[in-house]
Amino acid sequence: MRIVIAEDTVLLREGLAGLLEDAGHEVVARVGDGEALLAVVSEHEPDLAVVDVRMPPDYEDEGMRAAATIRQSNPGTAVLVLSQHIETRHALELVAAGGGFGYLLKDRVLDVDDFLDAARRVTEGGSALDPEVVATLLSPKRRDDTLGELTPREQEVLALMAEGRTNAAIAKRLWLTERTVETHVRSILGKLGLPISGDDHRRVLAVLTYLRASTV
Amino acid sequence: MAARGLLGENERVRIAPRLFVWVFALAAVAVISAGLLLDQIAAAKDVSGSGTVWLYPFLFGAVSAPAAVGVLIVTRRSRNLIGWVLVLGSLSLAPVLAATPYAWVALKAHPESLPGGSWAALLSSLWPAFFAWPLAVAFVFPDGRLPSPRWRPYAFFAAGSFALLALALVTATRLEHPFSDVPNPFPLRLPDSFGFLRPVAWLAMFASLFVGAAAVRSRYKRSAGINRLQMLWLSYAALLIPLGVVCFLLWGLLFGEPGDAVAAFLLGMEAAVALAVGVAVMRYRLYEIDRLINRTLVYTLLTASLGLLYGVVSVAAGVVVGRGSAWATALGAVVGALAFGPLRTRAQALVDWRFARPRFDGLRRVRAFVDEVRDGRREPEEIGGVLAAALRDPGAELLFRLPASDTYADSAGRVVAEPPDSEGALTPLEHRGQEIGLLRHRRDLLDRPDLLHSVLEAASLAIEIARLRVEVRLQLVEVDESRARIVQAGYEERRRLERDLHDGAQQRLVTLGIVLRRLQRSLPREARVLGPALDSAVAEIGHAIADLRTIASGMRPPRLDDGLAAALADLTREAPVPIDVEATAERLSPHVEAAAYFVACEAITNAVKHASPSRIRVKATLADGGLRLLVADDGVGGANPAAGTGLVGLTDRVAAQGGTLLIESPLGAGTRIEAAFPCG
Repeated sequence: MRIVIAEDTVLLREGLAGLLEDAGHEVVARVGDGEALLAVVSEHEPDLAVVDVRMPPDYEDEGMRAAATIRQSNPGTAVLVLSQHIETRHALELVAAGGGFGYLLKDRVLDVDDFLDAARRVTEGGSALDPEVVATLLSPKRRDDTLGELTPREQEVLALMAEGRTNAAIAKRLWLTERTVETHVRSILGKLGLPISGDDHRRVLAVLTYLRASTV
Repeated sequence: MAARGLLGENERVRIAPRLFVWVFALAAVAVISAGLLLDQIAAAKDVSGSGTVWLYPFLFGAVSAPAAVGVLIVTRRSRNLIGWVLVLGSLSLAPVLAATPYAWVALKAHPESLPGGSWAALLSSLWPAFFAWPLAVAFVFPDGRLPSPRWRPYAFFAAGSFALLALALVTATRLEHPFSDVPNPFPLRLPDSFGFLRPVAWLAMFASLFVGAAAVRSRYKRSAGINRLQMLWLSYAALLIPLGVVCFLLWGLLFGEPGDAVAAFLLGMEAAVALAVGVAVMRYRLYEIDRLINRTLVYTLLTASLGLLYGVVSVAAGVVVGRGSAWATALGAVVGALAFGPLRTRAQALVDWRFARPRFDGLRRVRAFVDEVRDGRREPEEIGGVLAAALRDPGAELLFRLPASDTYADSAGRVVAEPPDSEGALTPLEHRGQEIGLLRHRRDLLDRPDLLHSVLEAASLAIEIARLRVEVRLQLVEVDESRARIVQAGYEERRRLERDLHDGAQQRLVTLGIVLRRLQRSLPREARVLGPALDSAVAEIGHAIADLRTIASGMRPPRLDDGLAAALADLTREAPVPIDVEATAERLSPHVEAAAYFVACEAITNAVKHASPSRIRVKATLADGGLRLLVADDGVGGANPAAGTGLVGLTDRVAAQGGTLLIESPLGAGTRIEAAFPCG
């Protein structure tokens, strides 16, 4: 994969680049702010942009805004946004707007395989949503009646689905067979009244849309 | 301007006038001194009427005072006729006064020792000369000319009346007291049919005194500034004469013949008029002459009415209990003492009303205002407008002094750093020796110090109250602002710390973790045994990051950047009690959002800690252009804002945003905390 990295802390940027290069990806550009990111994206048209949320000049949500712009102007470039803390609203909007977008807490990088998997997923048009964000969506204190009908196992599966994982990944995580996972997914979608689709990505979007609608 | 000639500096005084004036003045003093010497000689022979030594200073003063003042004016202000009027007046009066002792010596003590004794007796009968120079001054003061050409006939009338009186006196068959037994040496006698001449001449002379008074009054009315002060000095001295006459008439009515006392008084007044003229010309700003006149009038009036009251009461009581009884006198004294206070107030009001109308009206206005302030019908801050009305100066502006900042503020509480000194004059206001403000007013009010000062004095309490109120109001605004600044600085500090944790320490840890992970992945196969140790190290780093995130979030939840609703929703995740959140999605100012968020946090923490509720409800709605935040629980209630610091902290947070906090916490019925924040 051809990747650009936007991160203002140089050491962290180099660490990330090294991590991705170790995994066999090509880091074509490393920048420190949103404007430079937009420039290198339109120049290199990379497969993926790994973007820090807070960057100069204001250290607010420059990365998030740049991500939204890239999804509009360069649909061929997937975006993986890394944040120091959870900012649900923008993240959900971008994930639900379509595939090719991921939002993770920065320390998820330390779980290298998971991180690389998420990078791969979003590059392939899928999505990646941090478990913390998913947890806010499934928060027991805001759960409605429909979610309450799910079994504990189904809730685990739903959370992993919402994170953007494929059936295979879910099966691996929960030490289940892929078939069992598929059964759970079918049951969940049925209980939530969502259409059953073979496409993993579509399924994730439907689930997220449902969860957003039921929580806001 | 004639007044300029009067006051002009550096006038060259020619030698001749200076010489003449000294000669005349010294001659007058010499004549009166000789007269006093002659009186001593007469007294040695026990001549009746002579030897009244206590009268000497009055006699000497009546001549030497105008002489001295005249010399002073002529040498300093040579073009002013007034000096000459005084010197010549003194020179004309001295022989008349000295003629009496001369006649005593020549006719009675040592007959035939001195020539012309009967002529001296005749001269002494011309004592009305006494009024001549003051009358001349009344006509031509202060510029040495008549008030206007229109006054010329009156001046001639006055001069004529004196001439006529002199004629009547010198042609009289009998001379005046004490020489009624001396034959008149004057050869000319008017026929008997001219007997009417004498009373007519007296009447004309008295009439001319009134005309003189009218001249002074006319000029006073047209005068302004310095002239006005000069005219006031003259009026004051001139006023003493009729007032003295009135008092001594009363004295005479009550206690018998005043005798020499009247003479002493009139002589004293002669000196007083001369001194007043001197002050008026040389030092017209010496005293607050208005007030002096006013007081004199008031106390004369007071004395006269008290005397009258005392007399009437003692006489009336005497009819009942018997004439000469001590009881009647005592009753008169008691009634007089009781009447003193009210009479004094009345007399002051009467004098103010008649002679100082602007002051009277101004004082009445200010006092009425002070009463209304006391009754709570008007605000003390209106004093500025009241002063402007009382001083009849619509442009007058009152500034309150703020001692803390050494600045001034107007009545609306706006701070004026530099007192404007553009137009008009500035008068500082004092209360108990402290400057409490400034009044900017028309410059010509400075010529009416009595009006200005008495009005300001009457208003000083109201001004001080208004000043204190303005000061307190300004200080409260400052306190509010500084509290808001402090609280907002707290929010800023929290935000900064949160940033520092996220972007500093946390980034470092992540970087460190990545380094470890890359190290781990690059280990050769035989070193893979280090894997688990590195895994646990990275896991530890992950925990440290999570801890930091929690701490940073407690500082200031980053979710606040997404708005109050998002931040409040996050609160529910970690709370041990179910929380129902209903919050507006509208974005408000960051400070209001932060304040509302922390108020909600603290209220929830309080509830969880003390009230053991089963549910908490948080509601944030927009109402009336502001944010209403409600935190209600179903716990034990009984929260007391006075008891703990938690609820006081809430009050401070809300107040810092200019909001209000309402706490309802009946025992056993839950707690409702309602905060209202203004937005905009």
